[in-house]
Amino acid sequence: MTVTDATTSTAPHAPSASSRRAARGFAPVTPALALVVFVFVLPVLALLLRSVLEPQPGLQNYEAFFASTTYLKVLGNTFLVAGTVTVVTVLLGFPVAWFLAIAPGFWSRLLFAIVILSMWTNLLARTYAWMVLLQRTGIINRTLIDLGLISGPLPLINNLVGVTIGMTYIMLPFMILPLHATIRSIDPTVFQAAALCGASRWQAFTRVMLPLTASGIAAGALMVFVMSLGYFITPALLGGTSNMMLAELIAQLVQSLLDWGLAGAAALILLTITLAIYLVQLRFFGFGQARS
Amino acid sequence: MLLDFSRLGGWRVALILIALLVGAYLLLPILLIVALSFGSSQWLQFPPPGWTLRWYEELFDDPEWIASFLTSFQIAAVVTVLSVLIGLMASFGLTRGTFRGREALRALFLTPMILPVVVLAVALYAFFLRLHLNGTFVGFVLAHLVIALPFSIIAISNALERFDRDIETAAIVCGASPLEAKIRVTLPGIRLGLVSAAIFSFLASWDEVVIAIFMASPDLQTLPVRIFGTLRQDLSPVIAAVSTILIALTAALMALAALLRKDARS
Repeated sequence: MTVTDATTSTAPHAPSASSRRAARGFAPVTPALALVVFVFVLPVLALLLRSVLEPQPGLQNYEAFFASTTYLKVLGNTFLVAGTVTVVTVLLGFPVAWFLAIAPGFWSRLLFAIVILSMWTNLLARTYAWMVLLQRTGIINRTLIDLGLISGPLPLINNLVGVTIGMTYIMLPFMILPLHATIRSIDPTVFQAAALCGASRWQAFTRVMLPLTASGIAAGALMVFVMSLGYFITPALLGGTSNMMLAELIAQLVQSLLDWGLAGAAALILLTITLAIYLVQLRFFGFGQARS
Repeated sequence: MLLDFSRLGGWRVALILIALLVGAYLLLPILLIVALSFGSSQWLQFPPPGWTLRWYEELFDDPEWIASFLTSFQIAAVVTVLSVLIGLMASFGLTRGTFRGREALRALFLTPMILPVVVLAVALYAFFLRLHLNGTFVGFVLAHLVIALPFSIIAISNALERFDRDIETAAIVCGASPLEAKIRVTLPGIRLGLVSAAIFSFLASWDEVVIAIFMASPDLQTLPVRIFGTLRQDLSPVIAAVSTILIALTAALMALAALLRKDARS
């Protein structure tokens, strides 16, 4: 939509003063709109178009993608890592969010500050830390060998194990913070009611707490899953060349293979999955949950 | 029962244990980097055999590291100014405008934040190749502006929605022009939104690495691009020194944000 579209589309209906007022306030939006159209919408559409135009018009890029075991393995790796990261962040993030919501002031403030510091620390700095920790002669391997738990170093880096550990680290705050808000919004009297009705702690947890936090868990899980699907830096540094994820594949198709058609196809596949998950989120949890 | 810490019984122990473990998991890698940046071991031995400032000296003696620091700072500064200005105008239009399709437009403005950044990076690389903008200052600013703008629009729109518009109207009734009222009444009223828009816009550009990797040329590299390129080759302790400086900057910005929140409450 452009400025002229907006004016011409309203003008024929009612050129009176009231319609001019009805379309007021559009002018200040135009710089942002121009930027987003020219530096976002058009370039992305152009890339996606190349997937059906290069090297010749047709769907051959998509056929090539889904016929190749290599590319399907990349897609599988992407879902495997994103899925594992999501499950682990829910399992670790829920108790931490719970602790943050109810622990005595000092301890919850301290842990909260650690979560925020970790989230805001430069992504490359955090990934560097994990490269140091996970390498063959790294602290984790040396400690395990010194303790006599293993005889040789475990392969913790340049594979999906390393990627999963590093991504879980990066995604945890994105699970903890929304869950913390959800748990804090629970009315404590519902648990008094549960206790009065004779519920055990376990029953109160499964029948009251989980249902009340289910939408928060789902919203956090979808967000972490979607962010993990498209991640590039951490897989590129902690992963190996034989176990790529989708974002790395797109980058490599462009940088080393110059195969823009296939890169466009892979980009469209990634975008479609991402948008589909966001639509599910909007449909079932609404804007409010997605924002909180 | 489950929301009262003192009445959790055995569950309390489990909760404390997990919180302790996750807290350590989140904090220890950051402390490790800081320790290694002062450690004397080239091979990142821990605990370090001795302490030294050698890596910081190497960092500050290298004109290329200094250049990439400055490049990152200049790009982030220009992006911050433009992002707050464009975001302020757009927020006025989105919160006060009466034209149709405002919600759709708002969603469009926020989309760059949720889409996988690698797709935008590759798309912009191809687009800027034709316009000869790759490896230029203008190219970096435009690309980072798209990433920063959503943060600006969210922060400023929220502040504008909370701001009581009657105060602005009162100023106009008292004889101020609409523009004067906006500058002298509304802008001070939403200053916290403007500052957080600026902080988030700055960080969005300063920390951005995926687009920058595609956009960079040998002559124009931001700090994250340089770190990424170095990390691909070896785990030099100089990276620990750079990272420590970045962590200190983060902590300073966090403290600033916390002070502002305190200021807003009082």
